Amino acid sequence: MVTLTTEQAVPGATPASQEAPAAAALAGLPDFSSAAYKDAYSRINAIVIEGEQEAHDNYISLGSLLPDQADELSKLARMELKHMRGFTACAKNLEVTADMPFAKEFFAPLHNNFQAALAEGKVTTCLLIQAILIEAFAISAYHIYIPVADPFARKITEGVVKDEYTHLNYGQEWLKANLETVREELTEANRANLPLVRRMLERVADDAAVLQMDQEDLMADFLSSYQEALMEIGFTGRDIARMAAAALVG
Amino acid sequence: MFGLIGHSTSFEEARNKARSLGYDAYADGDLDMWCAAPPQLVERVTVTGLTGQTIEGAYIDSVFVPEMLRRFKTAKRKVLKAMELAQKTGIDITALGGFTSIIFEDMNLLREERVSAVELNWERFTTGNTHTAWVICQQVEINAPRLGIDLNRAKVAVVGASGDIGSAVCRWLQRRGVAELLLVARRPQPLVDLQQSLGEGRILSLEEALPEADIVVWVASLPQGLQIETATLPRPCLMIDGGYPKNLDTKAAAPGIHVLKGGIVEFWQDIGWQMMELADMAKPQRQMFACFAEAMLLDFEGIHTNFSWGRNNITLAAMDLIGAASLRHGFRALELDPAPQPATSLATA
Repeated sequence: MVTLTTEQAVPGATPASQEAPAAAALAGLPDFSSAAYKDAYSRINAIVIEGEQEAHDNYISLGSLLPDQADELSKLARMELKHMRGFTACAKNLEVTADMPFAKEFFAPLHNNFQAALAEGKVTTCLLIQAILIEAFAISAYHIYIPVADPFARKITEGVVKDEYTHLNYGQEWLKANLETVREELTEANRANLPLVRRMLERVADDAAVLQMDQEDLMADFLSSYQEALMEIGFTGRDIARMAAAALVG
Repeated sequence: MFGLIGHSTSFEEARNKARSLGYDAYADGDLDMWCAAPPQLVERVTVTGLTGQTIEGAYIDSVFVPEMLRRFKTAKRKVLKAMELAQKTGIDITALGGFTSIIFEDMNLLREERVSAVELNWERFTTGNTHTAWVICQQVEINAPRLGIDLNRAKVAVVGASGDIGSAVCRWLQRRGVAELLLVARRPQPLVDLQQSLGEGRILSLEEALPEADIVVWVASLPQGLQIETATLPRPCLMIDGGYPKNLDTKAAAPGIHVLKGGIVEFWQDIGWQMMELADMAKPQRQMFACFAEAMLLDFEGIHTNFSWGRNNITLAAMDLIGAASLRHGFRALELDPAPQPATSLATA
């Protein structure tokens, strides 16, 4: 990754000089069997497994706050368990043991915020954390992972991404329908939780780089998806920019 | 609906602008923060043309600044993400402004149709180069006689002749009729190809061309550290600064040398927008890059397709079409200002 980000590209230079590094990066997938890759993968893969497990638990919990939607939510939760099994198979395929204690600790701040909101019956905050933040992040990260994944994981991840859109959409639709009553809580929940996502990302930046996933790409892609979700929910212009900026400066 | 994708002229400028627009978090952020920041739909605008027709548009800031040019992946992502936002916003035709079209071309982003989950529909975008080329030609045609330059006898140097806009300008000037076309560009082979396709024109280096040229059309970015030996230039000399960024006036300032910002148009009335202040226009309420105006023209005309796309595809027929639309809807090419006075009247003033 380093060679690409430091590659100098000046408009007007001959295209050939710019195509070379891009082509090399395309051809040069990581060495999936190397010790360094497996070591990094043990944490990244664990985060993904833990993330899917959290998602499952969170959707079930949300069902207790929205009893009329419990069926729909348990359907979403079941999909997350299926994803979790898929990613567990990915680790097995590469003969890697996922570092689950690391992942649990990694998710703790978001997990705690979700649990606190759940205890207070704050549906909006719970939905923002799970159905918007986590889903938007997962979608972006999976998209960036797919081109550099091993063939087995690639196939699994491609299948998962499609489902995650359904989940993001679920959260968007609910928040959109209730925007006027949830706007304030949503803004507050954004401020409290968005900076956590950035810190989580920073923590695994080095591991992600070993997997050829660039931190700036991950952040930028996540923020685009997140902004888009806010747009769908009904926020406009400056509100969106202000909310998304909390991830960058918070 | 039309769209414009633009950016600030420098990081410092961008931060000031962010503050004035109420984006305080961005104003305080460092360059790394700006690199990760997603594009912003900054402004929506309603534009009424000379015929009374009204269209709606949006300005998207790519949150790119020229300081990011050396970050290959960042620059590329900025452009693609801005295009993605334009498409998702439902804009029918969007022009790529400033460096964004240069990045698109030079980094060969046509290969990157799929940005994350979104498949970009190229038909919704235009480089705006056809209108830019037409406007530059108008600027030559209108302003040369004012300086006493007879186009039929003039040698016209086109710097960046083999590029998309440059080659179109050459073809137009050939049809118009000038004494000689002086073809200048960095890479030799495309120049030879252009000369062959024109069946005329003399290939020269920049140093050789300038002392001969009554008119110089610049449609290449100026090399850093470029020195123009103004003493050797013919007088009068008309220079159309059609490159980006437009900084020729600082390099070629001398009596008898008239530098005009190229590829800029003025609308017939003020547009209630803030966006062109970003681009440092003399009259930001009605002046804009011709490439932006092309998106408006295509929307006015209901031509929702990638009118200007790829390299060296600009035809004279397309230039005539967009030129006629430009006049019809109330645009006019930027002219020399104020009208140059003969030396004697200056002395007595």
